[in-house]
Amino acid sequence: MNAARALKVALPLGVLVVLAIVPLSATPYTNYQLSLVGTFAVAILGLNIVSGYAGQISLGQSAFMGVGAYAAAFGVAHGWPVVLSFVVAALLPAAIGALVAIPAVRLRGNALAVVTIILPIIAVPLAKRYAGVTGGSEGRSVDWAHVPSGTGLEDDQWRYYLVLVIAAVLFLLGRNILSGRIGRAFAIVRTNEAVASAMGISAHRYKVVAFTIAACYGGAAGFLYVLVVQFASPDLLNFQVAINMLAALVIGGFANLWGAVIAGLFYVYVPVVAGAVDPSRTNIFYGAVVLVVLFIVPGGVSGGIVRLVRALLARLPDRYRRFTGVDPQAGPASPVPPQPDASGPEPTPPSLRAGAGSRKEPQ
Amino acid sequence: MSPDATNILELVDVRAGYGRAEVLHGVSLAVREGGVTALLGANGAGKTSTLRAISGMVSATGRIALDGKQILGSRPDQVARLGVAHVPQGRGTLEQLSVRENLLVGGYRRRDRRAVAVQIDEYFDLFPALGSRATAAAGNLSGGEQQMLAVCRALMSRPRLLLLDEPSLGLAPRMAEEVFNTIGRLQRETKLSMLVVEQTAALALALADTAAVMETGRIALRGSAAELADRDEVRRAYLGD
Amino acid sequence: MQHAIQQIVDGLAAGSIYGALALALVLVYRATGMINFAQGLLAVASTYIAWSVWRAGSPLIAAVVLAVAAALVLGAFTERVVIRRFEGGPPHTAVVATIALLILINGLTGSIWGYVSQPFPSLFPSGTVTVGGVVLAIPSLATTGVLIVVVVLLQLLFLRTRLGLALRAVADNADSSALSGLNVGRLLMVGWALAAALGALAGVLIAPKVYLDPTMMDTILVYALAAAVLGGLDSPLGAVVAAWIIGVTENLAGTYIPYVRDDLKIGVPLVAMFVILLTRPQGLFGRRKAARV
Repeated sequence: MNAARALKVALPLGVLVVLAIVPLSATPYTNYQLSLVGTFAVAILGLNIVSGYAGQISLGQSAFMGVGAYAAAFGVAHGWPVVLSFVVAALLPAAIGALVAIPAVRLRGNALAVVTIILPIIAVPLAKRYAGVTGGSEGRSVDWAHVPSGTGLEDDQWRYYLVLVIAAVLFLLGRNILSGRIGRAFAIVRTNEAVASAMGISAHRYKVVAFTIAACYGGAAGFLYVLVVQFASPDLLNFQVAINMLAALVIGGFANLWGAVIAGLFYVYVPVVAGAVDPSRTNIFYGAVVLVVLFIVPGGVSGGIVRLVRALLARLPDRYRRFTGVDPQAGPASPVPPQPDASGPEPTPPSLRAGAGSRKEPQ
Repeated sequence: MSPDATNILELVDVRAGYGRAEVLHGVSLAVREGGVTALLGANGAGKTSTLRAISGMVSATGRIALDGKQILGSRPDQVARLGVAHVPQGRGTLEQLSVRENLLVGGYRRRDRRAVAVQIDEYFDLFPALGSRATAAAGNLSGGEQQMLAVCRALMSRPRLLLLDEPSLGLAPRMAEEVFNTIGRLQRETKLSMLVVEQTAALALALADTAAVMETGRIALRGSAAELADRDEVRRAYLGD
Repeated sequence: MQHAIQQIVDGLAAGSIYGALALALVLVYRATGMINFAQGLLAVASTYIAWSVWRAGSPLIAAVVLAVAAALVLGAFTERVVIRRFEGGPPHTAVVATIALLILINGLTGSIWGYVSQPFPSLFPSGTVTVGGVVLAIPSLATTGVLIVVVVLLQLLFLRTRLGLALRAVADNADSSALSGLNVGRLLMVGWALAAALGALAGVLIAPKVYLDPTMMDTILVYALAAAVLGGLDSPLGAVVAAWIIGVTENLAGTYIPYVRDDLKIGVPLVAMFVILLTRPQGLFGRRKAARV
C-alpha cells in the first residue's frame, strides 16, 4: 500500500479519533460551538447536494432547517419519543421541499433561485403568527437531551457526541447517495439539462429529488440545532441565514463533502472571529472572501478551499505530488494562453460572452 | 500574380485553441489585396477557428498581420475598426432588432450619418426582400435573406477585408448559388479583399483566385483556385466528383 | 370605493418603486445575462451618499443628483472590476458572485454609516389633492409620475438613440456586435451604470417612507425580483407593469383579505408569481425560447 493510499485511510480515521477525544478536555463552550459546527455542516451538506451537486442554487435552506427545528421543539415539548421527533423533523421539511420543488423545478435556473427565496420570506411571518405552535417571535425553548446518568459525561459532551454520531451517519449516507446513480444523474443535470433529457434522465425528477434530500438534511440539522441550543426561533428561518450558509458553502467548496464541514466551521466561527458585536465585519469578511474564492480558485464556484488546497498541492515538486496522490489540476504550460475561467470541458468554443449570445433563457 | 501585389492579410504560423485544446497547429496563409482566397476543408478542420483567430475571438500565438501590421491580441471590436468585417458562421443576425437596425449597427462606427442612410437605402433597392421588411425583426427573415442582410451589414462599415464563414450553410443550393453570385458581383465591382471559408468547395473555388485546404488545424494544400479545382484529391473529397 | 381607489393609487406608488428597481434588474439581465442580487444594496449605498451630501448642507435635489451620478460610477465600476470576470461563465457562479456582493456591500454600508435608521427627506411635498371626490396623497401620485417619466425616457433612449441601439445590439448578441466594431465591455459598463442609477432613484423615493438603513431595500429587492421574473426578465415594460400589479394586489390583499393582514402581505405577490410562472414559465411578457443543446 503506497503512501497516498495509506494517507487516504489514515487521515479520516485520525480526524475521527481527534474528534472523539476533543470534547473530553475542551470547555463546555467549545463543545457547544463544535456541536454547532456539526449541526450547520449537516444543513450545508444538504445545500451542497442541491446547489453544488445538482447545480440548483437554493436560497431557502434556512427555512427547512427552521421547520425541522420547530418540529423537534414541538415534539419535545409534547413528550414525543425522541426518534419520532427526529423523523418528523427530517421528513416534514422534506415533504414541503418536494411539494414546492415539483412545480418549481420547471423554471429555469435564475427564476428558480428567485422562487426559493419565497420560503424563508414567508416562513418568518408565518412562524411569528402561529405562536401556538412555534412560540411566536420569542421562539420556543426546550429542556432535554440530558446525559443519561452513569456515563460520566457532562451535558455538553453528551450532546456533542450525539451530534457527531448523527452527523457522521448523515455524511456517510450522503456520500453513498452521491457516489451512486443519483449522484451521477445530478452531475449530468447540473452540466447540461438538454443533454440529460437526451440521455433519458428526467432533469425535473432529479431536481425534485435533490431538493427533497436537501430539505431532509436541513430538517435533520434543525433537530440537531434544538439538541444543541435547546431553542428554536424565527431567526433561524430568515433569509440572512440562508445567504450566509450559501456563502460559507462557496468558501468551503461545492465539489466535495468536506466542503460542507469547512463551511460549517466558517459559519460558526466567522461571526465569532470577525466580531459578533459588529455585524458589518462579518458581512465584509464573507462577501470579500467569497469573491476572492470565486476569482482565484480554479473551477470557480465549485472549487472552494478544497480545490484550492488541491491546486496548491499540485504545484509541489514531483515527489511530494506522488506522495500526496494528488492529480495536478493545473497542467504544464499549454502552448496557447489558457482561456480565463475554463471551468470544464466545453462542447462548443466559448464565445466572448456566452451570457448574451446564447444564454439560457429563463423560459 | 503581379510581383507588386501586396498582401492585405498574412498569417504566419498561427496557433490557437480553446482552453487547453489547441485547434490550429501553425497556420500560414495570405490574402492578396483585391483578391479572394477560399479556405476549404472538412468539418472540424479549423476553418472557422482561423477566422475567429483573425478577429481576435480566440487567443492565438504567431503573426496575424493586416497591411503588414500585427493585429494579433486585439479585441474583436478593435479588429473590426481596423477595417475587417467578419460575417460569422450562422450569420450573427441581431434577431430582435429590425432589419434596418441591423444595418445601422453595421455602420455604427461611421461618422457620416447621411452617407450611412443613403447606403442603407441602396441596399434596400438592391434587395427588395430586405427593403420590404425594413422594420421587421431580423430574426423572422429566411436563411437566405439573413445571409444577404449579414453581408450588407458587414459592408456597411466599408471594410477593406471581408471574412465570410460558410455563407452557404443552411441554405438550399439555389439560394446558396444566388448568394455567391451576389457576392461575386460585389467583389468584381468593388475589388474588396475576401477570405471565404466554405465546405461547398465548388461555389468558393468559382469565386476565388487562390485557395487553401485545411486538415486538422493545418494547411494541407494551397495554390490558385484553378489548380486546386483540378487536383484529383480536391475533386473527390470536396467537389464530390 | 374611495378607499379602494386610494389603495390602488398607493399600490401604484409602491409598485413604482419596485418597478424602478425591477427595471434595473432587467437592464442588467439583458446586458450581462445574470440576475444581480446586489442591485438593492447598490441602491442603498447610493441613497446613503445622497444622505451624507444632504446632511453636509446641500439642497436635497442636488444631493439626489449627485447620488445618481455616484450610482453611475458605482455601477460601471462594479461591472468592470467584479462582474466582468463572471460573464460568459456558468450562471450559478455569477449568481453567487452577486450574492457575495450583496453581503459585502451590506457590510460596507453598515460599517461606514452604521445600522441605526436615519430619517430621509422626501422630494415631494406631503399633503393631499382631491380628484373627483377621492383624496389622494401627493407623494404617491408624484412617485408614480416619476416612474412613468423614467420609463418614457428609457424607451426614448433605447429606441431613438445611437447608444440605445448599441445597448440593444449587445443585449441581443454581444459577439456579433463586437464584430461590427461595438466596444462591448464599455457598453456593458454603461448598462450597469444605468441600472445603478435607476436603483438610486428607487432608493431616494422609498427612503422617506421606511427610513434609511442598510437593510432598507431587502424586501423591495424581493418584490423587484418577482416583478422582473414575472415580466419575463428581458422585458423592461413587462417588469414595470408587473411591478404595478404587484404593488396594487399587495395593498388590496393586505386591506381586504382578512387572512393576509400586514405581515403576510409580502407573500401575496411571491405566491402569485410562483403560480403564474407555473403556467407561463416565460413570465407574463417574456418570450418563449427553445433550449439549446
